[in-house]
Amino acid sequence: MVTKGDKILIVFILISAVLIFAGFQVYGFGRDKTYAVIEVNGQPYQKISLGQDGQKLQVKVPGLLGESIVEVDKDRVRMLYSPCPDKDCERQGWASRPGQLLVCLPNRVVVKIQGDRAQNDLDAVSF
Amino acid sequence: MVKHQKIIYLSLLVTFGLVLHIIENMIPVPFPVPGAKLGLANIISLLAIILYGIKEGLAVNILRCIVGALLTGSVSSLLYSLSGAVLSTLMMAVVYKYFRKIFSLVGISIIGGVTHNITQVTVASIILSTFGLYIYLPFLMVIGLFTGFFTGLAATFISQNLFVTLKRFNLPEEERMENETKLS
Repeated sequence: MVTKGDKILIVFILISAVLIFAGFQVYGFGRDKTYAVIEVNGQPYQKISLGQDGQKLQVKVPGLLGESIVEVDKDRVRMLYSPCPDKDCERQGWASRPGQLLVCLPNRVVVKIQGDRAQNDLDAVSF
Repeated sequence: MVKHQKIIYLSLLVTFGLVLHIIENMIPVPFPVPGAKLGLANIISLLAIILYGIKEGLAVNILRCIVGALLTGSVSSLLYSLSGAVLSTLMMAVVYKYFRKIFSLVGISIIGGVTHNITQVTVASIILSTFGLYIYLPFLMVIGLFTGFFTGLAATFISQNLFVTLKRFNLPEEERMENETKLS
């Protein structure tokens, strides 16, 4: 009932499925470029592009109380040091996905992670 | 008279397809991949192609999709299922017509299932305008392979019986059916 052509077809489909899967694993699936936007008191201060080939640097941000230090490590960002009293912003840890926020209210420093197409970020789709 | 007979048989096929479509919707799918389903109605489209041809197979499948979407209450999925159904039916019909010697019904059913999945992923990624949905494609292809295998087996058994039954009613396709029974 199952001819030789069927067997070849099955093997072909399995191989192509594995190939596509491997391709996605190797090349990723075209992640959009992300940016870290640093704002002081509501005003944009600096925009840094993130990514696997990005740089590792520390940015000094003059805030209301003093200088905060924002650390960028390739595709993620954290608040390394802040002059604020409670240090909540330092405890937020790393942020890397579009839509994430690092906030230091006393010092009025906000780091936003933005994607290229943030308006296209769907949470769920029903069909 | 013969013409009416054909219409009745085609509408019976649509009805069978609808019943399978609805039953299939009640069966929970154990895979967490969106778009994965059993594709039981594929049996009927395959039968329509074997018994009557491309045009009739398309008509049966399109009707089944439209009425099925209305009955199950998910009209927004009509876009996905209709495009998938049309392309997979075309694909199966072409393969059945020209490559019948190479592939059995199981192989044709697998081709239909995988085509359906590829079309659905493509349509979904066009609608959502994200290319990332193609990450689901390998899983859907493997699932389509298995479901296509079993729907193809079911279609083989059904067609064997159906050719005998239809022969008793003396349809004009008698010659064609005789060829079929020899092949299968």
